[in-house]
Amino acid sequence: MTEAIQIVLGGLMQGSVFAIVALGFSLVFRVTGAINLAQGAFCILGALLTYSLDQHFGWPMATAVAGAAAITALVGLVIGAAIFVPALSRLPMSSMLILTAGLLTMVEGLVLVVWGSQPYALPPFSGEAPVELFGVRVTTQGFWIIGAAAAIIVCLWYLLMRTAAGKALRACAENPMAARLMGINVARATLASFVLAAFIGGLGGIVVGPITSLEFDTGRFFTVYGFIAVAIGGLGSFVGAVVGGLMLGVVEQLAAGYVSSMFADSLAFALLLVVLLWRPNGLFSADLGRRTDVREGQRIYPPIVRLQGRTAAILGALAVLGLVLLPALTSSISVMSSLVITGILFIALLGLDLLMGYTGQVSLGQAGFMAIGGYAAAILATNHGWSPLAGTAAGMLLSVACAIVLSLFTMRLRGHSLALATLAFGLLVDSLTVGLTDLTGGPSGLVGIPSFAIGSLVFDTPTKTYYLLIALIVALVLLLLGGVRSSFGRALQAVRTDQTAASALGVNVARHKLIVLSISAALASLSGSLYAFNFHFLSPEMVGTSVSLALISMLVLGGEGTLVGPLFGAALLTMLPTIVEPLASYKTFASGALLVLALRYLPGGMYGAAVTRIRRLVGARAAAAGLAPATGGLR
Amino acid sequence: MSTAALYVRGLAKTFGGLRAVDDVSFTVPHGSLTALIGPNGAGKTTLFNLITNFYRPDAGDVRFYGESLAGVAPGRIAERGLVRTFQSARIFPGMTTLENALVGAHLQVRAGPLAQMLWLGSARREERALFARAEALLELVGLAAQRDSAATDLPMGAQKLLEVVRALMARPRLLLLDEPAAGLNDSETAELAALLRAIRANGITVVLVEHNMSLVMGVADQVVVLDAGTVLASGTPAQMQSDRRVIEAYIGQDAGVN
Repeated sequence: MTEAIQIVLGGLMQGSVFAIVALGFSLVFRVTGAINLAQGAFCILGALLTYSLDQHFGWPMATAVAGAAAITALVGLVIGAAIFVPALSRLPMSSMLILTAGLLTMVEGLVLVVWGSQPYALPPFSGEAPVELFGVRVTTQGFWIIGAAAAIIVCLWYLLMRTAAGKALRACAENPMAARLMGINVARATLASFVLAAFIGGLGGIVVGPITSLEFDTGRFFTVYGFIAVAIGGLGSFVGAVVGGLMLGVVEQLAAGYVSSMFADSLAFALLLVVLLWRPNGLFSADLGRRTDVREGQRIYPPIVRLQGRTAAILGALAVLGLVLLPALTSSISVMSSLVITGILFIALLGLDLLMGYTGQVSLGQAGFMAIGGYAAAILATNHGWSPLAGTAAGMLLSVACAIVLSLFTMRLRGHSLALATLAFGLLVDSLTVGLTDLTGGPSGLVGIPSFAIGSLVFDTPTKTYYLLIALIVALVLLLLGGVRSSFGRALQAVRTDQTAASALGVNVARHKLIVLSISAALASLSGSLYAFNFHFLSPEMVGTSVSLALISMLVLGGEGTLVGPLFGAALLTMLPTIVEPLASYKTFASGALLVLALRYLPGGMYGAAVTRIRRLVGARAAAAGLAPATGGLR
Repeated sequence: MSTAALYVRGLAKTFGGLRAVDDVSFTVPHGSLTALIGPNGAGKTTLFNLITNFYRPDAGDVRFYGESLAGVAPGRIAERGLVRTFQSARIFPGMTTLENALVGAHLQVRAGPLAQMLWLGSARREERALFARAEALLELVGLAAQRDSAATDLPMGAQKLLEVVRALMARPRLLLLDEPAAGLNDSETAELAALLRAIRANGITVVLVEHNMSLVMGVADQVVVLDAGTVLASGTPAQMQSDRRVIEAYIGQDAGVN
């Protein structure tokens, strides 16, 4: 009995933190309709700032906390004013999600540069000695956490319900257009909600700091748990955020206490799925009555990038020729191996582009499929004597099976649920690859993986692997190109922008989503297998959630919905740190920052910008030759 | 009666306390052009949404060439040859005019995704045939020059015409058009009228929701007048123009019977 009380109290403590993060989520979602994945990043920023102010600058704890929360809010203000709020009126909601994923990566990268990758811990606010309560020993930090959550809830309620500023925020949430007509400065109100959410997130991170191991990428766990809490409670509902957070905390602690801490993550994920299947809008669905039509008006979709038949064929042939001759130009092993990594990642990106670029289904867990493919092939080939080819095929089948199960769950969910379900899926795979030590070798990884081979043909040097990749990629690009330029590809693009109109024309929306998710899972799996065979080694962080986020940066940077575009993004983000060594520690930051910049300044990605130039050139030449000018297709 | 293209009996739908559609019955003969008219809020678009199962009716029966549509998913309705357009032109952003038209032919395509990925001859030939048909239809409505432009760059009127073309690409037996003339200027409306006559001449039955009375009176064989969710009257355009109840329903409103 004492143990149960202990666990439940621990759960309420943990849950209060989730509730604080969830409140930040709900606040931004209510006012803007966007899910801010960077929310968790503010938690880690607040906690680490407190650490530095207290330990390095010798500030008293109370001053350090106040200072850290203020700086976090300031960072929120800068990000909100410069990036988030201006993007709201321009980008479609799915791109907003990607933008906030980029912000999360960017802040994580910034934390990595400043604090490094080692874990930190804050000292408890009021000493280590626990107090006795109902016969159980409770850490005093627990009172700080629960107290902070309660204070935030009361203040937020008062602000929103009892003040004029709160009324303005609620008006923006109901109908931004009408609010603007009533003289409310919507941009400023939106910014205020973003900064307030950052401030709340920072406080949450600070109070939980003493009982958590703080690392640069802990932020994404806050994001995920906070999001699971709002999804359970009901997106946009403040009561739901609190109840969802507390429930999640208690269930997680019970699972950790009575089952195994390894499966606590899995159970949180399961709880989310059960609640969403039972009540798709969460326990307390916020009746927002938001008029989506007023906001979705003038969204900028990426320009249509199409090269016409002959130009495309000539340029494609030249590009392949160039890639075949490339190894002759360099003798550097490190350049060759980063070319190989680029190629391997591009295979996963082909699938991701089909899924995200063409079909508009955001996946934040693509590396989860890479992990399944990588570990399945590596384990079968290393420990069970399978041929690498058979192991790779088995991995792909397993990945497709997982994709089908995942889509059975997400089918019923609407909005950004796939993005968050895939994020949760990726983190679940992360925790399994670390936890199933007997099978995967745990955090230290799997060693002694053989080289990839087809029969007696062994690909044991970077150059051999490079040529294998070129052959594979040419075949895959031709296959997918055939698909996307036919009715299949048009159906996918129709699903991307208007599912109702697509289904009125007989497009089976669910079936097309299932097919592309399966294809993308199979390709990610293939890429993961080749990754393992190439390095002869596989560890969880090589195919972890950071890779999922990096893949998205590469996709957007290279150009979504273009198939070949992501190659440029992959090359840039892979080759740059190799060629310019000092940049290596800025890799995560650059990946996030470039993603954010690309969404703002390069709507068609690098490939889109290049094609625009080429078409202008071809068009000019045709016009000079007295032919009819090439019509549009590009804005 | 079994030859009727569309047979609607006792259709009803309540939203909250509002009877949006209340015991509506009418029959659309094969090969005819029927116009649904009525003041704003009369339930015309709701009726379309009920026929195509975008809303589930509270009561009533819809038969399409004798077959009941009860419980058929909206996505399956098009397979039977019943294709609709939307009140606000819902063309697909991020696609060209030609590609938008081609989406309409989705159900016509026999080749599966795999055949298309393998660039099989049969799949390519099928694609070329669809391109030819889409180009011919775009030519007909005067959009051929914009075939490779982003469809969202077209003016509103052209987008509405493109939506009709897209619906035609599905080779429908019955076409439900929701205010196709909204946002069209006079010359575009005249083109639309010619297009509607051509569609009917090709044996495609049309049901039209429309506010533009000159268009309705010019092309319709049958007019069904809705008011407050019920059928007020139905008959030929000439009968409706002189019907006392119809005129009353429109009094004080911009009837525009000219």
